[in-house]
Amino acid sequence: MADRMRVVGKSLARVDAPGKVSGTAIYAADFALPGMLCGKVLRSTLPHARITRLDVTRAAALPGVRAVITAADVPDVRYGGGLKDETAFAKDKVRYMGQPVAAVAAATPEAAEAALAAIDVVYEPLPAVLDLEAALAPGAPLIHEAWESYTAIPILHREGNVCNRARIVAGDVERGFEEADRVFEHRFRTGMVHQGYTEPRAAVASWDSSGQVTVWSNTQLPFEVQNTLAEILQMPPSKIRVVVPGVGGGFGGKLRVGVEHFAAFLARKSGRPVRVATTSEEELTAAYPRQGSIVELKTGVTKDGRITAKAGRIWLDTGAFAGSGPGVASVATLVLAGPYKIPNLYLEGFAVYTNKTNCGSFRAPSGPQANFAVESQMDIIADALDLDPLEFRLRNIVREGDEGPTGQVLNGVGLEECLLKATAAIGWKDRRPGPGRGKGLACGWWTTTGGSSGVYVKINPDGTVALNTGAAEIGTAAITGAAQVLAEELGIDLTDISVVAADTFSTPFDFGAQGSRTAFAVGNACLAAAADLKRQIFALAAGQLGVEPDALTLADKHVAADGKRLSLADVARLSQQTGGGLIAHGTFIAPPTPYDTKRVEGHVYPAFHSPSFHAHAVDLSVDPQTGEVTIHKYVVAQDVGFAINPTYIEGQIEGGVAQGLGQTLSEEIIYEGGRVLNPNLTDYKMPTTLDVPRVESILVQHPSLVGPHGAKGVGEPPNIEPPAAVANAVAAATGVRITSLPITAEKIALGLVDARAGGA
Amino acid sequence: MSFEYHEPTSLAEAVDLGARFGADGRFLAGGTDLIIQIRRGKLRLRHVVGLHRVPGLDGIDANGSVTLGALVTHRALERHSAFQGRLRALVEGAEVVGGHQVRNVGTVGGNIVNASPAADVTPVLLTLDTTVTCAGRGGERTLPLDGFLVGPGQTALRPGELLTGLRFSALPGRSATAFLKAGRRKAMEISVVCVAARLTLDAAGERCAEVRIALGAVAPTTRRARAAERALEGRVPTPDALRAAGRLAAAESQPISDVRASARYRTLVVETLVTRALTRCLERIRDAAS
Amino acid sequence: MTKVALTLTINGQRHEVLTEPHRTLLDVLRADLGLTGTKENCLEAECGVCTVLLDGRAVNACILLAAQCQGRQVLTIEGLGRDGQLHPLQQAFIDHGAVQCGYCIPAMILSAKAYLDEHPAPTEAHVREALAGNLCRCTGYQKIADAVLAAARELAHRR
Ligand SMILES: Cc1cc2nc3c(=O)[nH]c(=O)nc-3n(C[C@H](O)[C@H](O)[C@H](O)COP(=O)(O)OP(=O)(O)OC[C@H]3O[C@@H](n4cnc5c(N)ncnc54)[C@H](O)[C@@H]3O)c2cc1C
Repeated sequence: MADRMRVVGKSLARVDAPGKVSGTAIYAADFALPGMLCGKVLRSTLPHARITRLDVTRAAALPGVRAVITAADVPDVRYGGGLKDETAFAKDKVRYMGQPVAAVAAATPEAAEAALAAIDVVYEPLPAVLDLEAALAPGAPLIHEAWESYTAIPILHREGNVCNRARIVAGDVERGFEEADRVFEHRFRTGMVHQGYTEPRAAVASWDSSGQVTVWSNTQLPFEVQNTLAEILQMPPSKIRVVVPGVGGGFGGKLRVGVEHFAAFLARKSGRPVRVATTSEEELTAAYPRQGSIVELKTGVTKDGRITAKAGRIWLDTGAFAGSGPGVASVATLVLAGPYKIPNLYLEGFAVYTNKTNCGSFRAPSGPQANFAVESQMDIIADALDLDPLEFRLRNIVREGDEGPTGQVLNGVGLEECLLKATAAIGWKDRRPGPGRGKGLACGWWTTTGGSSGVYVKINPDGTVALNTGAAEIGTAAITGAAQVLAEELGIDLTDISVVAADTFSTPFDFGAQGSRTAFAVGNACLAAAADLKRQIFALAAGQLGVEPDALTLADKHVAADGKRLSLADVARLSQQTGGGLIAHGTFIAPPTPYDTKRVEGHVYPAFHSPSFHAHAVDLSVDPQTGEVTIHKYVVAQDVGFAINPTYIEGQIEGGVAQGLGQTLSEEIIYEGGRVLNPNLTDYKMPTTLDVPRVESILVQHPSLVGPHGAKGVGEPPNIEPPAAVANAVAAATGVRITSLPITAEKIALGLVDARAGGA
Repeated sequence: MSFEYHEPTSLAEAVDLGARFGADGRFLAGGTDLIIQIRRGKLRLRHVVGLHRVPGLDGIDANGSVTLGALVTHRALERHSAFQGRLRALVEGAEVVGGHQVRNVGTVGGNIVNASPAADVTPVLLTLDTTVTCAGRGGERTLPLDGFLVGPGQTALRPGELLTGLRFSALPGRSATAFLKAGRRKAMEISVVCVAARLTLDAAGERCAEVRIALGAVAPTTRRARAAERALEGRVPTPDALRAAGRLAAAESQPISDVRASARYRTLVVETLVTRALTRCLERIRDAAS
Repeated sequence: MTKVALTLTINGQRHEVLTEPHRTLLDVLRADLGLTGTKENCLEAECGVCTVLLDGRAVNACILLAAQCQGRQVLTIEGLGRDGQLHPLQQAFIDHGAVQCGYCIPAMILSAKAYLDEHPAPTEAHVREALAGNLCRCTGYQKIADAVLAAARELAHRR
């Protein structure tokens, strides 16, 4: 099919590349307005404390200071997604070190810093809840005493420090364990990690005389930010315009309001445009990182390697506010099930409050945590049964038409092909090629997030096309992918399309750049718009050419029938003269995925839409003394449904693996006593060019039923499997099984020492 | 971070400014430590004295004994042809400092005066019995590097005194050096442990005549592992003897546990890297002889 | 605060700048001169997005005082292409799909240029080593390395 295509399926250059390589592309962090002030945020210096005094008079009187605001200056509202537990500023107490307490706007960064230092705050410390165990202990201090009074979607199951418990129950797990020959129980831990986008979060706000505020921000979700700002500012959304100039990476960290509200409040109070941008320290102490977790798994298997039952629980440390926690805990249960056919399941995900920064959504939220546990345990069990880990997986994986954990019927299941191709490429037969060297395998499944998308597509009088979308381009080239779908349909070149994006006043709604959905959903909206445009074009051209509309075809920038041709440009001009121009509004919403409602409880994400399947294989060496890991080769076989632009899909895979390897080997936000010990990029260690191996990407294509040309979401999955694949390879290389992330050289080396001591 | 900036164009002027500002000022070389410390609020300075227009501080003279100006950059060290042989550890230490951007401006003088226990070039210089020359209003003085390092961020430099250069003797034949470092990443790492070693064999090429071992990130300053050095001197450097030296060095290190690593791991790595660095020295001596 | 008067040569053009001594080259480029192709992030020389060339060598503009650049040649990404033509490195980054969010890319290209200017025929390992001070969170570096190697070949071809 792809060979009949001219534009989709081709590795064409992204539409925004020239501006990016020449430095002319403007990102939110670059955006400036005349007279703009610098806004900065005063943050709590204790993890849990009562504010007994907060006096800003001295700060407000300093030279150059134009506005100082605290909770007293803003509407008293609690906001949030499914659970409204957050406030713009701490009011009576602070709940994490880094929580906003006040904000200032001043003429220069120096004056703003001086103003922060001049704010007088006195705290009375409260007992802090520093980790998951402490939060769940009987009699633990409550982080939100009034949790019961908060507004929440009714699905959530909340209790004290647990802000949601999601559950999947299928079959009879106890009977399943009885049928098993062996039952394995393990516990895993993962650390808190940051998305690590290179552009800090930044926003500029400016009010006009009609009381309308415009916010230029690098959010992934302009429409959500518009609505949340409406809540926080207590204003109608129609008075709030959010524009996304350009985004320097998001990975889920730029989904929620972070600095936009401060910019808006400060701009209103000062009467000047205000810019607020985060520092690295703020990013690592007060952003929306990936939740740390504890996972417990109990799995029953028969002698011949069939899984009869699985009970699993994951506790996600969501920090002082729920943020994405309740949803992520739900998604986690589907990941805990794994891409396996298991008749009896009892899976629970808990989002738990602690006195830490509010965690959010990081590329494949919960994926790496849960998959690390599931896929590590698969290898442990395979070893115990004396089965090859590949063979053990092949005996249990889902295949076309199988049921998912909540009863959804699975289509386009390319998992077996992924496993076979990844293992073939890594040379699986020789799994321990030498001393200290080993290969590891992990597989998984993931969703293509739903939500609606709209586009306006307009044909210019020269036959080129303007694609107007509410989706922000965050770097993935998803908008380029959608434009390729559009170009194919309209018989034009990709270079004929220019993109207007992400302005809540002028672009149609989009659910946002999240959940691997952008190319998928915007691409489908483009198909709908193209279909409408073709009707318009054919109607006009039919009249002009004197043929039946049904006889017309659109290709190569022309409409044609019976040897007669009319250029797209001519039709567009004709329409401008007679009908207001060629324009169409295309929309898309993914159809719901049916599932068995009786199997779930407290669940906000009960099925994976148009699921993708993937297998990762890695070949690495471990220094037997220092524990340092060197990766020789990394292979990803990913079922992408249909590859709209192979180059950028490879880019997603290569980048996702690199980011996944960071979480696996070197990255962790380390808390001690409620304080982050490494709030800088010296000690928050993201992989460099020398840490990331070449990645071989194998694109497997089992089409989805819904995506454009059968495509599935591709952006998040590559982040999921690296921890488990590496853990399994390290175990193969050394015999040491590391059950916590990150898998530092230290853990491996000390594990080897202990193993030698134990063995002696 | 607000301060006045001065750019002396002669050594005398620099010394003069240094003396005038005392503890209120600091010299600026590459700024790769200083500017960050100022920005983090660790240093509050009234005066910053940029050194890069002071002539004569960035020279490398390697004819006979070696002198290095304080402003010699890591980039210059790693590329100098005189350091590709016996003094190879200088290259190995310099080439793992940060990335190219940091090495293009960061200096050997800054590495010493900043006195981070995890500095990478300093241990190499310790194994070379380097002396440092300082200039102040009272004139010039020359001190051994060993002893110059007093504590984290502290040296024997008096307020306002300038480090002008370093000096060490050329190594005799049958000598080699090596530098090794461990960290979480393969680049842009502050050492979890770093180790420099120098080995000189006797005339017969059989026994260790002189041994120097320096350890980074396992004590309040970069320091020598003297017990390990003594244990090897006069001995035949068998694999067992080198391993024993590694164990001794581990025993005499005093690491702390911090966000980068535990004391237990650091001790383990010292043992490994000391043994490996000595082994590498031995291999280099043999390779050069053959 | 006393200001200092500086003459900076940026992309071949002289700029007279009056600024406080503590301000960095990055501050002056972005805030005073509007040259936002040089990016800002960690401000501690760890991420490399602020890389510019000073007398041909890659440096972190975030920790370089503007005053230190008096009388020296600064090249930023805005000065790389000539007459509206992209530099071969810029073109190679496009052709190899090496650009995603793009925020690290101007710095990445300049680091690569400084390296290729001295080492016209590098290996992939050399290129990776040369770029180790430039973090990229999107690409995993593979297509960046490929682009730099391709640009090296193109530049050699043009010589
Ligand atoms: C991203 C990054 C990575 C790094 N990685 C490493 C690493 O891997 N290994 C490592 O060892 N270091 C590393 N460093 C630290 C630093 O680059 C080195 O220590 C460097 O050698 C410091 O030299 P400088 O010229 O930049 O010193 P500066 O910052 O200019 O000065 C440092 C200190 O020395 C004083 N000083 C400098 N020169 C003189 C002089 N001649 N006389 C008197 N006082 C003087 C200054 O006043 C200041 O107190 C890194 C730094 C950064 C930013």
